[in-house]
Amino acid sequence: ALLGGDAAAQGVRAALRQRYLRGLAAAQGRPTRFCLRAGVQVDAVFGAADVEAVAIQVDALRTPLGVQAAALLRCTDVLAYSFFL
Amino acid sequence: MNDWQRKSPLDWETYVNKMVKVAAIEKHEYEGWVLTVDPVSASIVLATFLENEKVSVSVVLGHAVQEVKILKEGDDGMKQRLSGIFAPEES
Repeated sequence: ALLGGDAAAQGVRAALRQRYLRGLAAAQGRPTRFCLRAGVQVDAVFGAADVEAVAIQVDALRTPLGVQAAALLRCTDVLAYSFFL
Repeated sequence: MNDWQRKSPLDWETYVNKMVKVAAIEKHEYEGWVLTVDPVSASIVLATFLENEKVSVSVVLGHAVQEVKILKEGDDGMKQRLSGIFAPEES
C-alpha cells in the first residue's frame, strides 16, 4: 500500500497526504492532549512531526515532576492525540 | 503492520467525509468525521463539532488502529464544512 500504484491511486495518495500536512500545520502551537500506551495521558504544546512519522516534537510537556520545556514523543508510544481549533 | 496500515489509498479515501467509530488498541474508541488518512503512517484524522462552534481534531496513529466502522455518510454541506477546516488561509 505504501508504494503507490497506478496514477489514480497516486493522485488520491497525494490529496490525502496534503490534507494531513495541513492538519499538522494547524496543530502547531496548540495545546494538545496525547494518549500514550498503558493508559497514560500527557498535555503539551504541539510543535512538529517528521515526514516519516517517527516522532513528534512538543513544547511545555506537563509531567508529574514539572513542565519540560521541550521533548520528543516517539510515535510508537503515542496512540492518539487531540487538540481544539 | 496491521490490516488498516496495509490498505491502499483508494481504500482509505472511501472513509473520507464519513462519520466513523475507530476502535484502537488498549480499548480506546474515537468517533468523528474523517478529514483524511495519512498515506504514510495510516493515521486517521477525525473532526467533531462542539456546541461552542469549536472543532475538536483527533488523530489516531495508524499503528494503533484496529477497526474503523462507518456510522453515517456526509452530505454536501458536511463535505464543504470539513474541507474548510484545514483550508489554506487567504493571503
